[in-house]
Amino acid sequence: MRLNDLTYLMPLLVLVGASIVTMLSVAVKRNHRVVFGLTVLAHLVAMYFLLPLRGFTYPIPPFLIIDGWGVFTMGLILATSLFVTMVSYAYFEQREERKEEYYILLLLATLGACVLVISQHFMALFLGLEVLSVSLYALISYLRTREMSDEAGIKYLILAAMSSAFMLFGMALMYAVTGTMAFPEMAAFLNSGQEMPLLFLTGFGLIVVGVGFKLGVVPFHMWAPDVYEGAPAPVTAFIATVSKGGMMGLLIRFISETNGYRYPSLLLIFTIIAIASMLAGNLLALRQKNIKRLLAYSSIAHLGYLLIAFLAGNQLGVEAVSFYLVAYFITTLGAFGVVAFLSDNVRDADQLEDYRGLFWRRPATAAIFTAMLLSLAGIPLTAGFVGKFYILASGVNTQQWILVGMLVLNSIIGVYYYIKVIAVMFAQPEQKPELRKVLHPAISFASGATMAVLGLLLVWIGVFPSTLVQLIRGLLVTFMASL
Amino acid sequence: MELTFFIAAAVAVLATIMVVTQYNLIHALLYLVVSFLAISVVFFTLGAPFMAALEIIIYAGAIVVLIIFVIMMLNLTQEDIQHEKEWLKPRIWIGPAVLSMILLVELVYIFTADTPDTYRSTPVEAQAVGMSLFGPYVLGVQLSGMLLMAGIVGAYHLGRQKKKVIHRFLERTEA
Repeated sequence: MRLNDLTYLMPLLVLVGASIVTMLSVAVKRNHRVVFGLTVLAHLVAMYFLLPLRGFTYPIPPFLIIDGWGVFTMGLILATSLFVTMVSYAYFEQREERKEEYYILLLLATLGACVLVISQHFMALFLGLEVLSVSLYALISYLRTREMSDEAGIKYLILAAMSSAFMLFGMALMYAVTGTMAFPEMAAFLNSGQEMPLLFLTGFGLIVVGVGFKLGVVPFHMWAPDVYEGAPAPVTAFIATVSKGGMMGLLIRFISETNGYRYPSLLLIFTIIAIASMLAGNLLALRQKNIKRLLAYSSIAHLGYLLIAFLAGNQLGVEAVSFYLVAYFITTLGAFGVVAFLSDNVRDADQLEDYRGLFWRRPATAAIFTAMLLSLAGIPLTAGFVGKFYILASGVNTQQWILVGMLVLNSIIGVYYYIKVIAVMFAQPEQKPELRKVLHPAISFASGATMAVLGLLLVWIGVFPSTLVQLIRGLLVTFMASL
Repeated sequence: MELTFFIAAAVAVLATIMVVTQYNLIHALLYLVVSFLAISVVFFTLGAPFMAALEIIIYAGAIVVLIIFVIMMLNLTQEDIQHEKEWLKPRIWIGPAVLSMILLVELVYIFTADTPDTYRSTPVEAQAVGMSLFGPYVLGVQLSGMLLMAGIVGAYHLGRQKKKVIHRFLERTEA
């Protein structure tokens, strides 16, 4: 630990400081607006300190490493978390329960995800993961008066603790084999021998359980629909984006640092998981009447798509993962943002019936939701299309024909249920919709503006993807060299 | 010294199995204490006497005692006093007692054994633990602090509410 390290740790320190300041301000006086402002400010300041860190590879031994991939995923996580915060204000303002702790937990969860993506040591990995998980336990069951929230929270708690235990045991086995918990030394150990030791493979298999749980891929996906349904809509957006993206960032770092692409057995595990996730996610979503559950199944399928690019393993693959993460984050945030926007103070707008004739009541909201769903389905002119195209290119590039075939097949299945929701939104309402209490315009303005920004970003990336591609290439140039 | 490790590990596994199979909470907790003691002996045989002491002070000492206090304070009625009398029968405490006795014998053997190499590897003293915690691993210590903060803030929020929520499955059967 040197003084210079602090400059590189500034984004994390800002998050830590902000969560403490927020907690103290809550202790002095509860004010939703002040806490909200502090949280937004913290994200902006953290992003400001993140900017000058591009283009370096700066290890902070033994725990962390700041490099292009870390800066990219950290920036993505911070931006996503900022959008979640923006949507949260109107959502929680309608509810009588205490709102302020939400922001403290959100900041801490973001911190955990940031640590996760820049860790190069099992201990940092585990601590980051636990900070993220523990904050999520409370966030998921945050609205205690809801009947589903307890169930979702307990389910996530038990399964997350279980998967952490698996992961710890896997780390212990790998430590027993290699005698180190740092990724670079582990890579050096593996490079010295030709074969992967069996115990190491076992340990890796156990770690896959933990990783798979957080990513919500089949067969570790059971929690996803229930937790998505029970959690407040902004928290659901957070789980679907930051938590999964953080884990994906870690997975790519771990595999590329330890040079895991050499081992066919590892790739086979992920190939099976990818195919199973795509199929199960899309097929289970077909008959879904609940929007949040539908999006849960759709996110299972999307993580399957992401794994295809991950399996490609070359430069194009990492680029595809990065691009798809951005597209998927924007889309998911937008979709759950709309759900949060339409929710009233009793329950979330999660039934398909809530969206019947939405276009005739709220044309702008319906238009944004339509754009998001089309992007999820991968229709041209949206970010989702370019992302899927990128993944397809990386799959074809490495001749993974089975995976590519499954991707095409599943995209077709997926279109059915996305279009079904869109059709419902454009259907004529049967009865006159009851009037809802409208919030103060300034409050819903924050949500509305966020949704508009997301919608614009979605179309902009869909039409002019080269800007984002250049950005990703520029950031990842140091990371790519090591691949 | 291999054997001492395996005996302690076996006791730990056995006690932990008993923890999850017992129906009575207090019985389970008794076995939990034994499990912690056994793990502490495992630490000791592996050359981490400081960790062994911490395991006993923090887990077997503070945490389990807290859990027992909470359980005992929840609802103290005449019935519970009867329960407590039942708990003090030998049938209940003989299992954990035997397991603890094994650990004690093992520990006495370790201390009185002729061979000086009690540990399987070089022992890690308290000073070395402190040096690494506040040297290279200082970020980990601070992250643990943030982990605790997340836990406390979450527990505070979730524990404050009084409203009872009926589970949706129960609701349906009652109606």
